[in-house]
Amino acid sequence: METILTPNFNLPDSHTLPVYEKTGGYKTLHKLLKMRPDEVIEEVKKSGLRGRGGAGFGTGLKWSFVPKDPPGPRYLCVNADEGEPGTFKDRALLEKDPHRLIEGSVMCAYAIGAAVGYIYIRGEFDLPYRRIEAALQEAYQKGYLGKNILGSPFSFDLYTHQGAGAYICGEETALLNSIEGKRGEPRIKPPFPAISGLFGAPTVINNVETLSALPYIIEKGAEAYASIGTPKSTGTKLFSVSGPVKKPGVYEVPLGYPLRKFLDEYAGGLMEGKILKAVIPGGSSVPVLTAQEVEEVNLDYESLQEHGSMLGSGGMIVIPDDFCMVHALEILAHFYSHESCGQCSPCREGTAWIYKILKRLEKGQGTPEDLDLLIDISNGMAGQTICVLSDALAMPVKSFLAKFKNEFEEHISLGYCPHRASFRTSGAPTYLSSDQLLWSPRFQSL
Amino acid sequence: MILKFSKNSKTKIDEILERYPNKQAATLPVLFIAQREFGHLSREAMEAVAKILETSYAHVYGVATFYTLYNKKPVGKYHVQICGNLSCSIMGGENIQEYLKKKLKLNFGETTQDGKFTLSSVECLASCGTGPAMQINEAYYEKLTPEKVDEILNSLK
Amino acid sequence: MVEITVDGKKITVPHGINLIEAARLAGGFIPHYCYHSKLSVAGNCRMCLVEIEKVPKLQVACNTTVRDGMVFYTNNDRVKRAREQVLEFILVNHPLDCPVCDQAGECKLQEFYMQYDLRESRFRESKSHKPKVVDLGPRVVLDMERCILCTRCVRFCREIAKSDELCVSERGSRNKLTTYPGKALENAYSTNVVDICPVGALTSKDFRFKRRVWFLKKEKSICPGCARGCNIEIHHHDNKIFRLVPRTNEEVNQCWMCDEGRDTYKPVLAQNRLRSPMGFEAGQRTQFSSTEIMPRIQNALSGIAGIDGKSIVGIGSAQATNEDNYALKKFLEITFKSKNLLYHKNESDHPTHDNFLICADKNPNTNGIEALDFVKINTNKKFQAFFILGNLPEEAIKKIALEKKRVVIMLATHDDEDSKWPDFVIPTTTFAESTGTFMNIQRRVQKISPALISPGESRSAWEFFSDLSTYFGKENPIYHSAEAVFQDIVEEHLCYQGLTYKSLGETGKVCP
Repeated sequence: METILTPNFNLPDSHTLPVYEKTGGYKTLHKLLKMRPDEVIEEVKKSGLRGRGGAGFGTGLKWSFVPKDPPGPRYLCVNADEGEPGTFKDRALLEKDPHRLIEGSVMCAYAIGAAVGYIYIRGEFDLPYRRIEAALQEAYQKGYLGKNILGSPFSFDLYTHQGAGAYICGEETALLNSIEGKRGEPRIKPPFPAISGLFGAPTVINNVETLSALPYIIEKGAEAYASIGTPKSTGTKLFSVSGPVKKPGVYEVPLGYPLRKFLDEYAGGLMEGKILKAVIPGGSSVPVLTAQEVEEVNLDYESLQEHGSMLGSGGMIVIPDDFCMVHALEILAHFYSHESCGQCSPCREGTAWIYKILKRLEKGQGTPEDLDLLIDISNGMAGQTICVLSDALAMPVKSFLAKFKNEFEEHISLGYCPHRASFRTSGAPTYLSSDQLLWSPRFQSL
Repeated sequence: MILKFSKNSKTKIDEILERYPNKQAATLPVLFIAQREFGHLSREAMEAVAKILETSYAHVYGVATFYTLYNKKPVGKYHVQICGNLSCSIMGGENIQEYLKKKLKLNFGETTQDGKFTLSSVECLASCGTGPAMQINEAYYEKLTPEKVDEILNSLK
Repeated sequence: MVEITVDGKKITVPHGINLIEAARLAGGFIPHYCYHSKLSVAGNCRMCLVEIEKVPKLQVACNTTVRDGMVFYTNNDRVKRAREQVLEFILVNHPLDCPVCDQAGECKLQEFYMQYDLRESRFRESKSHKPKVVDLGPRVVLDMERCILCTRCVRFCREIAKSDELCVSERGSRNKLTTYPGKALENAYSTNVVDICPVGALTSKDFRFKRRVWFLKKEKSICPGCARGCNIEIHHHDNKIFRLVPRTNEEVNQCWMCDEGRDTYKPVLAQNRLRSPMGFEAGQRTQFSSTEIMPRIQNALSGIAGIDGKSIVGIGSAQATNEDNYALKKFLEITFKSKNLLYHKNESDHPTHDNFLICADKNPNTNGIEALDFVKINTNKKFQAFFILGNLPEEAIKKIALEKKRVVIMLATHDDEDSKWPDFVIPTTTFAESTGTFMNIQRRVQKISPALISPGESRSAWEFFSDLSTYFGKENPIYHSAEAVFQDIVEEHLCYQGLTYKSLGETGKVCP
């Protein structure tokens, strides 16, 4: 299969400029600079490329919202704030092929008329940061960045901006605030970034993987890209697979690839002695799939949606039979509660509330009413906040409870976690008696 | 006590300021510079950041406390940050967490008496395919086993 | 203008307003916490979710601008359900400590809970604990457990007070409102954050635990603290003032007032308020009743040989109302044919002032008294009789050469050093006990109304002069109300043309 994003992954020193140039890197910039910006946008629209950060919005369409001749500057922001549990594909792109990202960024900047771009890279990433910084320097030296790129009238400066430990900054407007030196709180929309984004100027925010697909699209043409994958989910996508599989890692496959086949052929199937229970296919926020659903679903936007899940970021978490689903959900609830920016009441309170309930449930101190309550809380969060972080917990809660309710019920009826012994080493669990439970009916203090 | 940035840091800050249309935008990188220079983000360090960026103390405080990579308290020479998220947990990360706690005789958020190690539980490091993973200062350590943890910790002087 | 349909009701509203304001114009109300018309939109409380036709998700009304033909619902089942959910979230970690909360009675959590929720909480976990009784600054106390993180106060400091003193620290459910550690919330407008706090998180140190708000009666008035004339409400009970709060007047103070102004009620409640007229009897300062003092004043004045209009002066006050000053002027004019009208005002060397509300002129009525033709004290003329409004120190009128033999009649509010020396001291009212008008720095005439009954025999200056004139038998007008005095002012002074108390309304009128 032809690879679009990862052809250089196995070459030694793939992150360096000479290797990238040797494989044809930056050559397409000449072609790009001869095109009109609107032709570039049109080409990307025709390619069917969709945002690879998780939302899957049409990339060309997103660009086309940027005003053509605004009075001030326009900006490109590269979203390299990968942090969705289970997702590590952008890290691979940054480490192994940073020049592809830079070339793609130049292409996007040219199309939307941005003179400045920022790569927002998560603060924990050290090697990726050093690689991209080195690559930027190389690109500047060769005239692929900076003033009058390759002698053309087009100039583009690209800087890195390190995050400082906040998952929410992967949300595009939180990312803008973070670049502006503020708390990473998502912005209320409208205005949308394409109209008023970074420093109040029209801005496009694209994911690393999205931008890395551009050199191929511009070089080979939209049709070549669109011929890969399915009619609505064109091209290839990186999937990062983790959990007890034989070959965890990052793989590029054409969209529409059967999930089961992917797990077997690319990930090498499950480790010896492990039985597949569930897969979270697109980063921890998307609804979970049962082992049965894994047999039926293909890796594209539509198929996953039909099965009630989402392609998301392509971060695939394989959950084996012996791992407790209540505990899995508890971990996710802790994550989203910890990472909620805390602006919106439903998210700030809801994520923490869900976590408290799950923690109790996992210890065997839950009640059947808790399960209904979890659903109800999730319904009150989903779609009712500034950004979708609250949905990102609501979706797993609802899908875990819909598909693995038996495990939750088991915890309630047993009064302890049946998986605990095999997975936790914290010794025998201790349980609070029911009267030690904190019960706070409304107006208790009255 | 009033803290002042060193000449080196000031040069670096000037360089950074050129990237942005206003000074406040440099809050995140300058906080990192302050943390590197002053060890952790004490009140004095945050005040120095606010002054050099001509922004309010409250702004800097709100930002510094929002992001987890800014240490508001001193941390040990080696900041051991173990992932507690799902993929790592599935691969036995919780065993490693417990092992580290026992080995370093620390709970999460604590620092050894000699100031050598601080142990923290962190969220996903995007190292899910090579879990359990941890980060010590900037470096990632992956596919951890108790034996490997011993080896790593012993190598840190 | 655009045409919209709110809950089935068609209405035409101005272009560019948001749905909260639009619903208001349609006679409805969309509950909200974080939205404040004078602050940027935060959209974080999520209480104002409404359903807009053809939009799949509920939208926050605060951040949605009206569009022509827009149809939206503020009260259908879906919106009601969303509100219940949001309220439940907001209340899960709330301490529910209404019995000891000063906000009780004017708390939007209480109000909206009763109106839109009224359900049993399903929260059975332990509540998260956050700092309580946090001393934010000289005037404001924070209870972080009550805070709903709407950020109105943060935005107020940044956008209105231009003093970025507050921030939200940390993240998620650990979010806390705070000042920078070790720094105080001490901008000149800090108490406004108490007013705009929709819950009991920010309370006023001055008002805490003083009185339940439902006992408070409210009187519309004007702050006497400076020439701005901020519109206020006097909150009082049991003939005591408990607080002054700003009242909206877009042209004067929007909906804010300064901290200094909030303290102007304190002298009203002072222990040393004058309760009865004072005079001298055999060289001893002695208390008299109003009826006793009047003939004595008359005697004292006629006892001065050769007294006429030229030797009598009235000293008005830029602190007093137009009505009181005018009554003084009228009394001198008719009784003594005197045109000697001077005035005094509070002055300090370095008065606080800014570009927002606080004026350097700390008198509410400088423009008013000048419009009545009083001139500021600075003359070498000698006078034998003095009628003075306000506690004026002897030092102040020494600018005017004092005759050895002279009579000083002073109308004062407080029994202090400055009111010990005159021959006669008549107790009079403060702004909080008066009806009348002030003319502010913009030449806006604004009305004050009495909230309290003045102590003892004190009464308005216009009442006193009206009464005193009867002892002189001249053709003085006998006033029975401040409004009647105002009518005479209007007739006599061109700039007031056409004004009446009624036409002044609640927000006053500007004089040319």
